[in-house]
Amino acid sequence: MYGVRIHHTLSTDPVLLTIDTTDPRPIYQQVADGIKELIARGKLAEGSPLPPVRQVAADLGVNLNTIAAAYRALQDDGLIVIKHGSGAVVASRTTTERSPDELLRQLRTALTELVLAGFSARKILTIVARELK
Amino acid sequence: MTDPVRATVIFYALFWAIRLNGCVRRGRQPRLRGTDWFFNVHVQPGFYDGAGKRLLRWYWMRMMIPFAVDIPIAIWIFASGRLLLLGWLIIGLCAVIHANHLISVDLAERQARPFAVPDAEQPVASITLSLTPRRLRDYSNLKFEVVLIVTTVCALVFAHDQRAGWKAAAFLIYMHAGFVYAKYAIVAWRTDHTEVHEARRRFYLANCDWCRALLTAQLVAKVNIVVWLVITVVSTVIVEIKRKQLARLSARVQPVTLPDLLRQSEIARWPVCYQPSAPLLMLKGARGYSINLANARALVGIAYVTGFVLLGNVL
Repeated sequence: MYGVRIHHTLSTDPVLLTIDTTDPRPIYQQVADGIKELIARGKLAEGSPLPPVRQVAADLGVNLNTIAAAYRALQDDGLIVIKHGSGAVVASRTTTERSPDELLRQLRTALTELVLAGFSARKILTIVARELK
Repeated sequence: MTDPVRATVIFYALFWAIRLNGCVRRGRQPRLRGTDWFFNVHVQPGFYDGAGKRLLRWYWMRMMIPFAVDIPIAIWIFASGRLLLLGWLIIGLCAVIHANHLISVDLAERQARPFAVPDAEQPVASITLSLTPRRLRDYSNLKFEVVLIVTTVCALVFAHDQRAGWKAAAFLIYMHAGFVYAKYAIVAWRTDHTEVHEARRRFYLANCDWCRALLTAQLVAKVNIVVWLVITVVSTVIVEIKRKQLARLSARVQPVTLPDLLRQSEIARWPVCYQPSAPLLMLKGARGYSINLANARALVGIAYVTGFVLLGNVL
C-alpha cells in the first residue's frame, strides 16, 4: 500500500504547463505552444506519454475539443503521435513541417520587432541567451 | 440476538459515534481559515456579527438533515425487529451525509458571496497544470491488487460453501466494484498541482483500498465481532488523524477562484445536464452542482446505484 504523505508546497513535478487567460492567443494555441516548449527544453523526452485529452481538459476546465485541437496541431507538426486507445506520446524533438528558411524568416521578423521596440542588440542577445537556457 | 444481528447493532452504534465526531468537524469547517473566511469565501470584517451568524446557523441546521432521515427509519427498524436492515441504513446514510454536505457547502458559499471582500472573488489569470498522466494504474499497487484478486477468487472457490452463502459473497463483490469505481472517479478529479490536493487524492484512494482489503478479509474468514470492532476503531482513529493533518494544511493554502473557461454557469442546468464536450462529471451551475450525463462516469455511477438497489431487493 502507498503512504499518504502530506505537504502543502507546490509539486516538484517538472512537467508543468501554464495557461494565461489574459494572453491573446487562443487556449488551444497556448497548450500546443506550451507542450512544444517543454519538448524543446527536453522536459518531455521522446517517448514520454502525454496525459489524455480528458485529463488536461478537466484540469484546465475547458472544452474537450480545445485540447483535442492542440494535440492535433502537435501531431501535424510531427511532435507527438496519437495512438487510439493508448494516448499520445512525444515523437521527436524536431518538427518536420517547416523549412529552415521559413523558420529563419520568422526569427528575422521577431528580431526586427524587438529592434523597432527599442531593444538594444546587447539586450536582445541577453534575452535570446536566457530563452535558450 | 444472533451474531450478525448483534454485529449490525454494534456497528450502527459505532456509526453514530463517528457521525457525531464528523458533525463537530464539519461544524468548524466554515471558520477553519479564521474569522475572515466563510469556507473559501473571503468575507468582510464583522461578517459573523451580522449575516454570517444567520448563514452559519442555517448551515448547522442543514447538517441535521441526515439525522432527520435516519431517526424515523431507525425507530421503524427497531420497532419491527428487522435489525439487519440497519446495515443498509448505514450505507444509505453515508451517501446522504456526503451529498448533503456537498450541496450544503455550495449553497453556503453562494449565500456568502454578496458579503465577500470586493475583488476577492476575481478569478486568477493563469492556471498551471501537470502534464504527468494520471491513470488508475498510477495510483494502484500491483502487489496489493494481485493479492486482493487471488485471495478473493480463492475465497469464492474454496471457502464459499462454509460461509453465509452466495448472497453475502455477491454483496461483498459488488461493494468491491463500488470502491474500484470510486477510485476511478477520485483519480479523474479536477485538481491543481499543489501537493495538498495530491495528498488529499491519495488519502481518499488509500481509504478505498483499505475498505477493499477489509471486504476481502470478510470474504475469506468469519472474523470475530471483537476483532472487527478493534479494526474499525483503530482505522477510524488513523483516518481522523490524517484528516486533521489535511485540514490544517488546506487551511494554510489560500483558496483561489479558477476562471470559468467552460462557462459552466451557463451550460449546466440543475440537477442534471448533457454536455458531451465538457470533460467534468459535475458542472457548477448557477443553482449548484449538476451531474453531466454525457460523462461515462456518471452513467456507470447511475448503473451502479441502480444495481445496488436491485441487489438489495434480491438479498
